[in-house]
Amino acid sequence: MSWKKVCKATDVAPNTLKKFWIDGGIPIVIANYGSGFAAIPPMCPHMEEPLEISGVISNCVLTCTKHLWAWNLATLEQHGTETEKDIKSYQCKEENGDILALVEEEIVYEFDDEDDMDDDSFFAKS
Amino acid sequence: MKVTIQSKTGIAEFEADGSSNLLYEGLKRGLGLPYECATGTCGTCRARVMDGNVSLAWDDAPGLAYVKRAKNEVLLCQAHVHGDCVVRVPAKVEPLPEAALPADFTGRIDAVRRLTHDVIHFEVQLDRAMSFAAGQFAALSCEDVTGARAYSMVNHANSTDRLAFVVKRKLGGKFSDWLFETDVNGRTLKLLGPLGRATFRPEEGKNFVCIAGGSGVAGMMAIAQHATRNGYLDTHTGHIFFGVRTMEDCFYTAEFADQVKKAKGNLEVTIALSNEEPPQPTHPDHPEINLASGFVHEVAARQMAGRYDNMVGFVAGPPPMVDGALRMLIMEARLPAEFIRYDKFG
Repeated sequence: MSWKKVCKATDVAPNTLKKFWIDGGIPIVIANYGSGFAAIPPMCPHMEEPLEISGVISNCVLTCTKHLWAWNLATLEQHGTETEKDIKSYQCKEENGDILALVEEEIVYEFDDEDDMDDDSFFAKS
Repeated sequence: MKVTIQSKTGIAEFEADGSSNLLYEGLKRGLGLPYECATGTCGTCRARVMDGNVSLAWDDAPGLAYVKRAKNEVLLCQAHVHGDCVVRVPAKVEPLPEAALPADFTGRIDAVRRLTHDVIHFEVQLDRAMSFAAGQFAALSCEDVTGARAYSMVNHANSTDRLAFVVKRKLGGKFSDWLFETDVNGRTLKLLGPLGRATFRPEEGKNFVCIAGGSGVAGMMAIAQHATRNGYLDTHTGHIFFGVRTMEDCFYTAEFADQVKKAKGNLEVTIALSNEEPPQPTHPDHPEINLASGFVHEVAARQMAGRYDNMVGFVAGPPPMVDGALRMLIMEARLPAEFIRYDKFG
């Protein structure tokens, strides 16, 4: 695991998101929420919308405009009434004008094999 | 046939009679299954068949792009059961309030009129009254076209056996072709309703802003009717922005002008023309209606700046317009998700 440079802090304007690729292929979205930066996987945990396109940031809160799932980027807590899953993120810091992310391997959401739908014990409770 | 639903809120069961798809059968019996479009497009009612024989009514439903067929996943709104079954739904499934349960209706089409070259209005005389909230929709189906279509009611009354709808012609759309090319007066429709959560709730005591494009204005008209009928606009304000391309594409102008007059100054209606400059600042035939130039969400952003106090927002229309309006309501109006209402059909 190591800190990787993703971009310059000035590459991502306040209240915007931008997608980058590091290590020759891991996609990562940097979100500038005004008082800091967050490094997140590029898709919404709900229905895989590309957050660099569907996401908007206002008041520290990232909202996916597709179905209004939202998270506070400073605390990574779920925000609002629609959100049902946590957002995942890479550790992230700003150093000498660069944005660095701590990346071991690509973070992905478990849309496929490890889907909620496969968790028999979860669905067995009544 | 016993249907067992495994959900994030536990296990629920109901007895299906096979008369329609699993979504409708469950909703009619008071089970709050997840859905948005209810007609095969959005993928929200994704579920997995764990046991039993289930077939899909519409094998090409666009929403099937969201399901894993190899894992026996289906869309509840397209799934028909042929015996007992167990289905897993990756959502919370709560009981629905008794008063809001959708039901099957039969209706006869009348009062068909073309509003513009590609917009048609029609009304349906139901076999009995339906209770619904302004902003809700019904799933309509006719014998000649496969599958149901979701359309919002244009009118509103607390309970009525007459529903009004507006449809914009969609190239290659089989239901809209049927409406535009057939004499549909007197034809029979099956309806399931009311559906949809993007509703006007007077008890919230909110001012409202509606941003609609084309036939998306249907629900906004219903909201205007509800708000002007019971004195709501004596103490609240309403702002409706209606986007069309040109003056020739405007419709319901007389109806909106009527609502503005009833609201005594607390309802503003602005028609935004995306493809031409308006001839004057107000509508030539209905001076109660403002005209503006630009995309409807941009016009709304300009005119609403600084006026978002205690607001709920409603959005309906073509996807790029909906996207622009949502961004504006989040970024500029700073409305939280619970006060932004739209049918998430996309």
